[in-house]
Amino acid sequence: MPEHRAVPRRLVLGGALATGAIAAGAATASAASPGRPAAPPEALAAERTPRRGRGQKSMINVPFEAYRTVRLGIIGLGNRGRSMAPGWAAVPGCTVTAVCDVRADRARRVADDLVSRGAPRPAEYGGAEDSWERMLEREELDLVYVATPWEFHHRQGRAALLAGAHAVVELPIATEVKELWDLVDTSERTRRHLLLAENCSYGRNELAMLKMAHEGLFGDITNGHGGYLHDLRELLFSDTYYTDAWRRRWHTRVNASFYAMHGLAPIAAAMDVNRGDRMATLSATATEPRGLADYRERFVPRSHPSWREEYVKGDLVTCMIGTEKGRTIRAEHDVSSPRPYSRINTLAGSRGIFEDYAGTSSTGGRVYVEPDHSGHAWRDFDAYRKEFDHWLWKKIGDDAANNGGHGGMDYVLQWRTVQLMRAGLVPDIDVYDSAAWCAPFPLSAESLRRSGRPVSVPDFTRGGWVNLRLGLDSRPSDMPPVP
Amino acid sequence: MRPARPSRPGGPALLPRLLALVLAALVVLAPAPAVAAPDTGGGTAVAISPVDLDGPVIADVTVTVENGGDRRMRDLAVSFEGPVGWAVQPETRTVKGSLRTGQEAEVTFQLQVPERRPGLVVRHFTATATYRGGDGAGSATATRAERSGTPLAHVSQAYDTVGITDEAATGAGNFDGEGNSFSAQRLAAVGLTPGARVEALGAELTWPDVPAGTADNVASAGQAIALPGEGSKVVLLGSGVGRQATGSLTVHYTDGSTSSGSFGFPNWSFQDTGAHGATLVAATDGRNRPDGYGNAGIDYNVFAHAVPLDAGKTVEFVVLPANAAVHVFDLALAP
Repeated sequence: MPEHRAVPRRLVLGGALATGAIAAGAATASAASPGRPAAPPEALAAERTPRRGRGQKSMINVPFEAYRTVRLGIIGLGNRGRSMAPGWAAVPGCTVTAVCDVRADRARRVADDLVSRGAPRPAEYGGAEDSWERMLEREELDLVYVATPWEFHHRQGRAALLAGAHAVVELPIATEVKELWDLVDTSERTRRHLLLAENCSYGRNELAMLKMAHEGLFGDITNGHGGYLHDLRELLFSDTYYTDAWRRRWHTRVNASFYAMHGLAPIAAAMDVNRGDRMATLSATATEPRGLADYRERFVPRSHPSWREEYVKGDLVTCMIGTEKGRTIRAEHDVSSPRPYSRINTLAGSRGIFEDYAGTSSTGGRVYVEPDHSGHAWRDFDAYRKEFDHWLWKKIGDDAANNGGHGGMDYVLQWRTVQLMRAGLVPDIDVYDSAAWCAPFPLSAESLRRSGRPVSVPDFTRGGWVNLRLGLDSRPSDMPPVP
Repeated sequence: MRPARPSRPGGPALLPRLLALVLAALVVLAPAPAVAAPDTGGGTAVAISPVDLDGPVIADVTVTVENGGDRRMRDLAVSFEGPVGWAVQPETRTVKGSLRTGQEAEVTFQLQVPERRPGLVVRHFTATATYRGGDGAGSATATRAERSGTPLAHVSQAYDTVGITDEAATGAGNFDGEGNSFSAQRLAAVGLTPGARVEALGAELTWPDVPAGTADNVASAGQAIALPGEGSKVVLLGSGVGRQATGSLTVHYTDGSTSSGSFGFPNWSFQDTGAHGATLVAATDGRNRPDGYGNAGIDYNVFAHAVPLDAGKTVEFVVLPANAAVHVFDLALAP
């Protein structure tokens, strides 16, 4: 294993946010008390909802202006950005016009790859910390896709909106509550949409689950359970996978649920969060952080820089979220324990239950709903997914399989995002959904700092959540013809 | 919400528009027990507007309440609900001020309507008005049933459960949710072979005409099945899982009316054969288990039960109960 620099470049580039996070992490490590009983049920007083600025209006139900074509810029060409670039270029009417990474060679390679696939050569930006700012200044972009490490998402997503583009930002869109509010306000001021690139919201099982919930097959929804349980230990200690080990370094900064959105977002959608209900309180628990240190002990040489790290993020961080309508959500995050992959995807109500990542069905799911079922025995999900298959999968499922990773979810997200823009439709996921789904990151840290006491979840809609509206369970529509 | 607005005085007889709306919507008025001194001058009329079922959509639904009593109606609150799991916003609306006799108020609700399901689906909606004064009843309820799609042409199209297997190949069977099934050989021994005629409770029924190991019965879940004709009763041939294999069969007539009746089947083995008022049709010896034939010496039974029809009406279709413990092999009209 090669030697490593003591202070990675990425940490230096992280700037004030990363420094602040390290300080917060130090405090959190001593305050977190895994396993302690939950505090009294009253939530800590919510931060006052900030007033809208002059001329600032809600983005709820605001359609995209119709774009004949979509000119896309990509910031961040690591594993995620590089793998998504061909999918964006394959969507009818979308052109990747600029690509950017602090490492210029990455921009060159992605540009070369796109050309080899028959796409126009995008402008390349790279080689400096502010390359992405130059790209936003110089290029006329309709949409900016942000796939950098988490600490950059807020600043780059915000800048994209201010540059006049819409933004689709990888998870999480921000790591602090004030940043989430800032993105909401910036979206409302600029009249540009910012949305979380939550590919799992477009998962085939997740969308079928959503449609079954709306049909009422589960009765009145009472609870859901989702998360991100993915053994990333090998990748976290890889010297090449996460640039400058940025993702592992988050485990040294703060004890929080970093990345539960993959499982939380589909459950929130099925509960119509921000569309008739909202997440109101959150309390968190965390196990001790054992997994990474144990893995390092067994598999990582003593010369590796990770041996100077102390991991403070509990292996399993669980958020119990209560909604305004009395539902409960359990959102989990664990990337440092040995286990098979799962996003859980469990949804239950007065008439039945769906569980993903369970049973023997080829879909990976199982179900039990009255009156269809009785006898206390699970049934395969197959027939239900067939009946409740989302129109997006019926329409572009084959294209998704050919063009996208993660079982096709990536391409469905990309195709739908471009289609919404070109057809001038209301986005399925908006800045309020994105902020709410990412809020457990800072809120779990706050709850854990306070020994698991419930904290209030901000109402990023400023009261707009009460009204029903369509979202991911959308009406079928076509991609406009490419001019 | 629209505020109360005046209409012509004189009670419901002078409100043909509202009456037409009520009739068109198949509304059933069901005043609850009086909570104030009874004064039912003309009754309270509640009507639900047609519902856009072409989902997914957020549909507006209007509920109209008309004061048919001879006193002013005060403290009016209207609640609305659709099928279970369908979101409504808000769940209750209040009407400011009061309604004089003959006056009506309209309130609007948002309803989350899912994509249409295939086959015939009947959606039920309920609006309830609570108030003081008026006719003195205190509350009135309207229901609305809306149909979409067409019923299945025959019960066999609803078959979704393998209840009969050959003793040489029992693996496909799952009558009871635990992998057990009737033995085709033991059924044949009592005359129940594929396509066999079965006479029960005055009706002629047909034993499932399908090969062993394929879907041969329907676990009741609200399926709508065409059953055109006239008769005195509907006879159902089936058996039960668990001990509460009961439910209500809804009969739809060609004149648009409906009737319903309760019925049930005993557990296929472990319950009195007369439970729920059913009639034993046939008893077979033992059953097929996932690992082969077994439980010899124990009876596994097939039953019949009947639901009466409204006299003089022609049946269009029936809707099975929402209870998957009720397994139906066939159904027919009896003279």
